[in-house]
Amino acid sequence: MSSQNTDPATAASSAALKGSEAGGSAARGSVTKRLQQELMTLMMSGDKGISAFPESDNLFKWIGTIDGAQGTVYEGLRYKLSLEFPSGYPYKAPRVKFITACFHPNVDEQGFICLDILKDKWSALYDVRSILLSIQSLLGEPNNDSPLNTAAAELWENQEAFKAHLNSTYQS
Amino acid sequence: MEEELMESDSVEMSGSGTRSGPPPLSSLLCKVDPGSCGSERRVSESLSALRASGLGRHLGPWLLSTLQMRLATAVAPEFWAGLDQPENDLEERDRARVLLLAFHTLLEKLEPFIGGLEMLGRWQEEGRCGLTGPGTRALRDRAFTIIRARLLFSPPAVLQRRVLEFYSRTFSVHMSQEGQAGDAGAEDGGPDDGGACPGCVAPVGRCWCQEALGQLQELSGILSRLQLLEPVSSEAVTSIMHTLLEQRMEQHCRGEYERSFLLDFQEWLELVLGWLARVFASTEEGVGTPQVTTPARGASGQAPGSLLQQWRRHMHQFFCRVYVNMRIEELFSIIRDFPESKPAIEDLKFCLERTNQRQQLLTSLKSAFESRLLHPGVHTSDILTVYISAIKALRDLDPSMVILQVACQPIRKYLRTREDTVRQIVAGLTGDAEGCIDLANELSRADPVTLEMQDSEDEGSDPEDWLPDPTDAVKDKTGSKRRSSDIISLLVSIYGSKEIFIDEYRTVLAHRLLHQLNYNTAREIRNVELLKLRFGESHMHYCEVMLKDVADSRRINANIREEESRQGAGPGGEEEQQTPPPPPLALSAMIFSSEFWPQLKEEKLELPPLVSQAMEAYTHRYEKLKAMRTLSWKPHLGSVTLDVELEDRVLTNLTVSPIHAAIILHFQDKSSWSLEELSARLGVSKETVHRKLALWQQHGVLREEAGGQYSVLETGSSRERLERSILLLDSDEEGDSNTATQSEQREEKLQLFWAYIQAMLTNLECMTLERIHSMLRMFVATGPVVTEMDVNELEAFLQRKVREHQLMVSLGVYRLPKAN
Repeated sequence: MSSQNTDPATAASSAALKGSEAGGSAARGSVTKRLQQELMTLMMSGDKGISAFPESDNLFKWIGTIDGAQGTVYEGLRYKLSLEFPSGYPYKAPRVKFITACFHPNVDEQGFICLDILKDKWSALYDVRSILLSIQSLLGEPNNDSPLNTAAAELWENQEAFKAHLNSTYQS
Repeated sequence: MEEELMESDSVEMSGSGTRSGPPPLSSLLCKVDPGSCGSERRVSESLSALRASGLGRHLGPWLLSTLQMRLATAVAPEFWAGLDQPENDLEERDRARVLLLAFHTLLEKLEPFIGGLEMLGRWQEEGRCGLTGPGTRALRDRAFTIIRARLLFSPPAVLQRRVLEFYSRTFSVHMSQEGQAGDAGAEDGGPDDGGACPGCVAPVGRCWCQEALGQLQELSGILSRLQLLEPVSSEAVTSIMHTLLEQRMEQHCRGEYERSFLLDFQEWLELVLGWLARVFASTEEGVGTPQVTTPARGASGQAPGSLLQQWRRHMHQFFCRVYVNMRIEELFSIIRDFPESKPAIEDLKFCLERTNQRQQLLTSLKSAFESRLLHPGVHTSDILTVYISAIKALRDLDPSMVILQVACQPIRKYLRTREDTVRQIVAGLTGDAEGCIDLANELSRADPVTLEMQDSEDEGSDPEDWLPDPTDAVKDKTGSKRRSSDIISLLVSIYGSKEIFIDEYRTVLAHRLLHQLNYNTAREIRNVELLKLRFGESHMHYCEVMLKDVADSRRINANIREEESRQGAGPGGEEEQQTPPPPPLALSAMIFSSEFWPQLKEEKLELPPLVSQAMEAYTHRYEKLKAMRTLSWKPHLGSVTLDVELEDRVLTNLTVSPIHAAIILHFQDKSSWSLEELSARLGVSKETVHRKLALWQQHGVLREEAGGQYSVLETGSSRERLERSILLLDSDEEGDSNTATQSEQREEKLQLFWAYIQAMLTNLECMTLERIHSMLRMFVATGPVVTEMDVNELEAFLQRKVREHQLMVSLGVYRLPKAN
C-alpha cells in the first residue's frame, strides 16, 4: 500500500498513546471536511451521467447515480448506488454497491461490485468522482476473467442478447 | 385599638339597658324630624331630645336616614340649581363666584349634620349614651359616603365644566405667579395681548388673580370639609395636568433632539405640584401656606402629604408616558440625526425604563423603517447611513441590544436584496463613499474588536453585572451569546459571511490599483492593515499579495528601465514619441500574480506593432529578470499618456485608454481610415471603435466623413464648425469596472446552488422545499452561507427553475423532469 494511504492521524495517535481519542475526533472532522470538499468538486465538475449526494444529514452515506454510457448496452439505463464512507476515509475505501439490480459480469445479485480500486488498489487519491467514473466505464468494459455473475459473463459475448436480457430485466 | 375595645364594651352595657322597653319609635321620630329645619341647633336639639327619650342606639341610623332624605329632597337639587346659571351671560370671574357660592350653600346645608355627627362622637367618647352599630368613625364614613353618593352619583356635566374652568384659571394664576407666565399663558391661546394680566387674562386693572387664589383656598376648604375633594377635583386636575403636559411637550420637545428635557420638566413638575398643594390643602392647614409637608389631621381621612406624593408619582409616570409616546413617534428622525440627538436618546432611555412600552417602540420603529427607508426610492448608501446611526443610537438606548437586533431585522433583510450593498459598505470602509465617513472612522478606531473575538465569551465582564435578556429578545440559536453592537461586524454579518466582503474588497482594491497606475499604495496598505485587524491575517492574504505585486512592479519597472537606458536607446523620453525610429516607448507595467487577483474582464485588442514590439521587449527583459516566469499582457487595461502633434497645434499630455491611443496611432501612418478597416486592425467590434472615435472627434483631431471614413483634421480652422456636432460624446462606460460585478458573482453562486439541487434531486428523486433548504445548508461548504439564502429566496429561485421547465413541482415536492 502506498504511503498516501497511511492515515497521519492514526499514525500520530499510535505514536503518542495519550490523546488518541482527540486524534480520532479530529480525524472525523477532517473526513467530514474532505467529504464536503469532494461533494463540492463533484458539483462543480458538471460531469454528465454521474452524480452523487448525501442521503440525509449523514455525510458518510451517499446515494450515487450512474447513467449507462453511450454506445454501450447500458445506454439509456440509470443505476442507483449506495456509498458508505468508513471513518478512516480516504485511507480506507468506501463501501459501494448497486441499489438498482444490475445484470453485469462483475456485479453480484446483492449489488456488490468487483472492482480493484474499491479493494486492494484503493488509494487516498481517488475520490467519489473517480469511483463513479470507474464504475461507469466498468459497465461498458467488464472484466470477464473474474466474474461474480457467470451467467452475465457468458452472455456478454452476445451483445444483442445481453441487451435484450438487460432491457427485459431492468427495473429502475 | 384600645379605644375600639372600650367602645364596644360600652355599647354592650348600654344596649342591655335600653332593650327593656322602647317607646313607640316611629312617633318619636316623626315628632323630632328635623327635615323642615335647617339649622344646626335644630339637629342637635333633635338629637338631644332623642337621647333623652332613651333612644340612644337609634341615633346613628336616624341621623343617616335624615341626611339622606334631606339630600335627596332639598340639598342636592338646590346645589345643582345654584350651579346651573345661564353661563353665556356670565363672565368667567362670575362663574367662579357662582361655583364657590354653590359649594358654600352646600356646606351650609350640610353643616348641621356634620355638627350632629361630631356631637354624637363627643357623646360616645364620654360614654353618655348607648350607641349601637359601628363606632363614630364608621358612622361618619357612612355619612360622607351618602353625601358623595347622593351628590355625585351622576353629576351634570356642568359641574365638571365649571370645576375644570376654575382650576385651569387658578393654575395659570399660580404658574404666572411662579414666574412661568409664558408657559401657562400660552395655553389659553396666544400670549397676553394688550397688557392683560398673564394669570387671569383680564385687563390689568381688573385682575382677579388674588381673588381667584383666595377662592381656590376657600373651595378646597369646603371640599375637604365635605370630603369631596378627591371626587370633585381629581378628574379636573388630572385632565388639566395631562393637557398641559402634552401641550408643553409639543411646544418644547417636538423636533428638538439636541437638548435633554428631563431636568426642565422636573422643575416644571415641581411648580405644578405647588399648585396641587394649593388645591389639596385643607382649611385646617392654615391660611396661605400651600406647602403641605406635615400630614394633616384626620379630618379628611387622608394625609394631604401622601396624597401629594401620590400625585407626584402619577405626574412623573404620566410625563414618562407622554414623553416616550412622542419620542417613539419621532424615533426615526432621532436616529437619523443621531450623534446630535443623543440627549433625546438618553431621555428616552430614562423614561422607557419606567414605562412598559418597549413593544410599542419596536413595532413603531420597524414600521417607520419599512415605510420611510426600505423602498426603492432610497439610495443604498442612505440606508446604510441610517442603519449605522440606528446601531449607534439603539445601543445607547438599550445596552442589551435587543431593540437593535429586532428593529433592524427588516433593514438587514432588505439590504440583502440590494445588489450594491456590499460595494457600498466596502466603499464606506475604505473611505470612498461621499457621505459615509462613519465606517472609515469606525474601521480606524483605536480598539477594534476582531470578528473572531465576538464569538468568544467576553471575559472582561463581571458575572454580577449579568442581566437576563429582556422578554422581547429573539430566541435564536445563538442563545445567550452576546449580541453584537460592533458596527462593522453587524454590517458584515448582513450576508452572514466575511468572504463576500473580502471578495468585494479585493475587487475594489483591484479597481483602484488598476486605475491609479502610479504605484502609490500608502492608503491601500493602511486600509488592508486595518481590515486585517478585523478579519484576521489569513483572510486578507490575497490583498496583501496584490499590494506586494504593485510594489514589485515598481521595482521591476525601475530595473527594466535602467537596463533600457544602459542600452542607450535614446533619452527615454516621457511618453510615446512621434519621432521616427526607433521609437522608445516608455512602457511601465503593472505585474499581477494572476492567482491572487480577481477575475479581470477579458477584452480583445490588437495593438499597433509599435506598442506590441515594446511589450515583447519588456517581456524578454522580464523573463531574464525572473526566470521561469513570463508576462501575459492585458492590453485593454492601463492607460496611455500621449501628445498629438498636428500641423498647427499640439495636444499635450492627453491621458487616454489604450484603445484610444491605438486608434490615433493608426492615423499616424494613414490619415484616413474607414470604420471597417480600423475595426479589423484593432480586432475590436465596429460599434466599439465608433464609440471610441468620438473622443478624438471631440478633441477635434478626427472628423467623420461621408461613407464612414474618418480623417485627421490637420488644421484647426475647420474645428469651430465641428464644435456643434460634438454632442456624440464618448458615452464610455467610465464607471464600468474591470472586474466581474457583484451581481455576476451572485449569479455564479446561484449556479452553484443549482448544481447541488440537481445532484440531490437526481439521487434522492424528490424532495420538499424545506428538505432542499436544509440539505443546502448542511452541505454547501463555501459561497454565501446558505442560511443566508432563506427559504423564501430559495423558493423563488426554485419557482424560476420550474418556469424554465428545469424543475417540476407537485404537492410541494420538487423533482427533476423525466426527459433528462
